[in-house]
Amino acid sequence: MTPIDRAHALVPVPFPPAQAAKAKGSWRHALLRTLLYGRNVDRAAKTKARLRLAILVFGLGYAVIAGRLITFAAVPEGHLGRRASTQDAVATARPDILDRYGEILATDVRAPSLFAEPNRIIDVDEATELLSSVLPDLDAVELRERLASKRRFVWLKRDITPKQRAEIYRLGLPGIGFLPENKRVYPNGAEVSHLIGHVNIDNQGIAGIEKWLDGSGLADLHLAGLATDRLQEPVKLAVDLRVQHALRDELMKARDKYKAKAAAGIIVAVRTGEIVSMVSVPDYDPNNPREALDPNRINRLTTGVYEMGSTFKALTLAMALDSGKINLNSTFDARVPLHFGKFEIHDSHPEGRFLTLSEVFTYSSNIGAARVALAMGVDQHKAFLKKLGQLDRLRTELPESAEPIVPRHWGELNTITIAFGHGLSVAPLQAVMGICALMNGGYLIAPTFLQRSEEQARALATRVIKPETSDKMRYLMRLNAEKGTARQADVPGYYVGGKTGTSEKVFGGRYSKDRVLNSFTAVLPADDPRYLLLIMLDEPQPLPETHGFRTSGWNAVPTGGLVIGRVAPLLGIQPRFDLLPADQLILATSTASR
Amino acid sequence: MIRLLNICVIVALFAAAAYVYRVKFESTRKAEQVARLRLDIRHEHDAIADLRAQWSKLDNPIRIQELAQRHLTLRMIDSKQFDPLDHLPERPADAPPPNSPDPIGNLLEGRDVPTASIASPRSPK
Repeated sequence: MTPIDRAHALVPVPFPPAQAAKAKGSWRHALLRTLLYGRNVDRAAKTKARLRLAILVFGLGYAVIAGRLITFAAVPEGHLGRRASTQDAVATARPDILDRYGEILATDVRAPSLFAEPNRIIDVDEATELLSSVLPDLDAVELRERLASKRRFVWLKRDITPKQRAEIYRLGLPGIGFLPENKRVYPNGAEVSHLIGHVNIDNQGIAGIEKWLDGSGLADLHLAGLATDRLQEPVKLAVDLRVQHALRDELMKARDKYKAKAAAGIIVAVRTGEIVSMVSVPDYDPNNPREALDPNRINRLTTGVYEMGSTFKALTLAMALDSGKINLNSTFDARVPLHFGKFEIHDSHPEGRFLTLSEVFTYSSNIGAARVALAMGVDQHKAFLKKLGQLDRLRTELPESAEPIVPRHWGELNTITIAFGHGLSVAPLQAVMGICALMNGGYLIAPTFLQRSEEQARALATRVIKPETSDKMRYLMRLNAEKGTARQADVPGYYVGGKTGTSEKVFGGRYSKDRVLNSFTAVLPADDPRYLLLIMLDEPQPLPETHGFRTSGWNAVPTGGLVIGRVAPLLGIQPRFDLLPADQLILATSTASR
Repeated sequence: MIRLLNICVIVALFAAAAYVYRVKFESTRKAEQVARLRLDIRHEHDAIADLRAQWSKLDNPIRIQELAQRHLTLRMIDSKQFDPLDHLPERPADAPPPNSPDPIGNLLEGRDVPTASIASPRSPK
């Protein structure tokens, strides 16, 4: 468009008649322009603006491309990283489990697994034949079925050896591949079986601490496919592998010696509630989890509930002492068996006289304990046991736990029998927690399998009895090791205090005289308690050297003594000799300091 | 003038292209190296885990106890075998050199010995 045209368009001039036709055309032209672009528009400026717009749009386009290039260059490992991680598509790494000093209890090892993509296999018969030649233990019929299936992915064999892997690789079969998988191994075998539990073939925890790990976030990681690396923090437990071994070794020997059905033991740090060792034999090898299915191999300490026998007298006496109404020298009538309705409560070693409270404990008098509980009343008895956590299910990190069996209608008879540990079945770990509270100055602390400092424990603890009561209980425990039923466990130097328990098991609806559950609870050292030990023997048999006795003092107590002698140095308890007897060391200092 | 500028630009273009190619090539090589190292590290990690598992299997107390019982004549420790440090006797004076002419004189000079005899730690006070 020339300037002249524009002049025509903008400034209408009178046209000579000869140019009328042309003028008519240009007028129409002008009208069209006016309609299209509007009147008085500088089309040059408009064009410039349009060009700028186009430049801007193209510029933006190139900027985006350049930006993408820069991001590609800046993050080069994006696709490389992904390529590396497809090698372990099965993302099931688990953190290592260590004991309190860093010994490995459970760890992951990489092992190749064999898989097939059936739609890519050309000759099923050939593949079956060649694979069976390398892996003779594979069922050929099943293998053929799997290879001929229409699925896109099938596992052929989990966890093969590197040699087999190399041989299969050399066969050059299409559609056959390997995936490195994490395989859980427990280098210590049966040593810590009940405690750490085990995993299934897909590396998911199905028992013990392994299950707890899954519950506390690991399962979600597995589902999201993020648990690929070994960089997960290892989990440190409170258990000490050396102590665990010593306890297990002694329990196995005791189980053989006394021909017991089962034996169990637990060591708890009194002030923190940490479980330093927990053994229940027969146990199983977590590397072979099928053994765990045998009902005889259950963890008797958490999954079983038992009538704890005379061990419960400690709770009864603590209740009486804590009330302030009864002191160590209060006397109770144990001259004749206690009659209640048609029931009669006997003592196993009748003294036939009035007994003081300390004698009730050291002679383990059922009549005395029953009278103590009756003096306190049913409601208070129940409330005290409730306060000590004996009536509710105890939950720890372990998924396995058992509900205590509490009488539905708790009458005087129940109080009488529960006073000496019959008629109320609790998990042994639960009883240990209650007795810990009696020993450590009166703090009830939930036991844990993880490490815990004293400050943390104190924050969790609830006070259940007075510190003076705890001193008196420790005095009674020590007295029992000096003159009572726990003499055989008084390892010199460790100032052991202990209480025995022999409970008759219910068999065919009545208490049986020759099926007993023996227990022994020891605190060491009794003047400044650090650890509590519980030994349990299920149905020990009388031996010539036990003079035909099957009560706890003849089997559980000597076992406890052997365990203490072995375990105390490992726990860092320094032996002290020439210590005063309990009434001077514990009782005197207790009254002097308060 | 414009032609000269064009030539310069073309030369610069080729130089830039060559440079970018070299950088790209180098970075690919480095990236592969990184990937290979990562893989090596992964294998090393796996090997370490394997060895640690084997080690703790060998270090297992059950096995150690069996070996000790079979090959050693050690017995279980008794609590009486422990003794606290303050029961340890004082360190005796150094023995005089063997060829000294006056051993007793050396002993008296060399150390700050208050008496000629060394007090027994458990002597009654």
